[in-house]
Amino acid sequence: MFLRNAWYVAATDREIGRTPLRRIIMNEPIVMYRTEAGLPVALEDRCVHRHLPLSMGKLVAGDILECLYHGLCYDTSGACVKVPGQPAVPPGARVKAYPMVERYHWVWIWMGDPALADPATITDFHWFDDPNWGAAQRYLHVKGNWQLVVDNLLDLTHLAFVHTTTIGTRALVDAKVKVDRSPDDVLVTRWTIDAPAPPTFIKAGGFTSNVDRWQIIHFTPPSFVRLDVGATPTGTGAPEGRRVGGISMRNLNAMTPETETTTHYFYGQAHDFDIHNPNTTEMIMNQITTAFLEDQAVFEAQQANMLQMPDAPQVDINADTGVLQARRILDRLYAEEQAALGSRRTAAE
Amino acid sequence: MTEAGSWHRVAAVSDIADGEAKSVRVGELEIALCRVDGAICAFEDLCPHAYALLSEGFVEGGEIECPLHGARFEIATGRCLAPPADRDLQTYPVRVDGDDVFVEIDTQG
Repeated sequence: MFLRNAWYVAATDREIGRTPLRRIIMNEPIVMYRTEAGLPVALEDRCVHRHLPLSMGKLVAGDILECLYHGLCYDTSGACVKVPGQPAVPPGARVKAYPMVERYHWVWIWMGDPALADPATITDFHWFDDPNWGAAQRYLHVKGNWQLVVDNLLDLTHLAFVHTTTIGTRALVDAKVKVDRSPDDVLVTRWTIDAPAPPTFIKAGGFTSNVDRWQIIHFTPPSFVRLDVGATPTGTGAPEGRRVGGISMRNLNAMTPETETTTHYFYGQAHDFDIHNPNTTEMIMNQITTAFLEDQAVFEAQQANMLQMPDAPQVDINADTGVLQARRILDRLYAEEQAALGSRRTAAE
Repeated sequence: MTEAGSWHRVAAVSDIADGEAKSVRVGELEIALCRVDGAICAFEDLCPHAYALLSEGFVEGGEIECPLHGARFEIATGRCLAPPADRDLQTYPVRVDGDDVFVEIDTQG
């Protein structure tokens, strides 16, 4: 299931330059590059002549992309503008062009109807640009469906089992979770009161006694999960809104489907302490990456089993409340999008 | 009707927030408490469909929706209003004395 009429992260800003970059998104091969003026461009990565990826070619004469094989040339709109050895370009010689917008150090792509591509609907990730936060971004390729990653981020009880060396503690399992929902959002709030800080928090915040820890997960369709996380010494008032003497972070996630069974996982972490110290940012990113590599192994093992037994049922537990509310939103949006397309497909599954 | 019941204090009135269900336990029984139109109601805290704790679900109007698969129940009566659950919930008589909330459990089983 892919929702097409939405902005997705296609690449980090540093990945896209004057050397064409190939990436598959929703089963479509895409070539990305920057114009001489610095604007990102995304085109179908397939020469209309004999299917060679255009990303194997090169930029010539400014912003013209030349195919490696027989030299057909394309402009930034995807139109073939030159065929070597003949004066006229055949009719229909054009590849698909995708709207792109650069924001929050990510480059966003619109996979659906270009007429609906409104940059104002890009999900807010301002922490990557905000002078009040230190932040960094990374990328993981996951051999698993994108919704497995969304599920993972919406149920953080797994931290107690998967991430015991970094961000997990056993106290998370019994902490009270509250799920709030609106038509297009899910908010999952968990407070773990008067419990030991997890190893990453001790490294980052220097806690020497128990903490009150919050995890506030905000899901926004189709695949954005932004976490407000942190801790303060127990009893100093964080549950009542006074966050003093501790640390606050944002764990920021944007999943882009590559295929039904693989995902481009863009993530980052912002922190509100020691914000100008690159060593702090690096330490935090390394901690988070340690945890996310553990998640990656989980996703890939899940997906492999699901491919092996595609019809096996699954059982839901209370901890899945946020997960199931998010899936319900996605199912509804998918049904609406399919209906709008006049498709006969339904969201029955 | 109540000759065999026994009353148990399960909560303070102030423990029960509007718009939320509170989970309490009497012996082996999981019971949810919820306020509807000012009156506190008690019902079994287990969705008959997949055994989720209903108290973690969504209280909307006089209904509670299971947190997982969308079954709905009328809080005051326990009546099942929407699948995938297929039976009504057990409800329990409630008595409020001062700030104490009591529920009556039928010891005849």
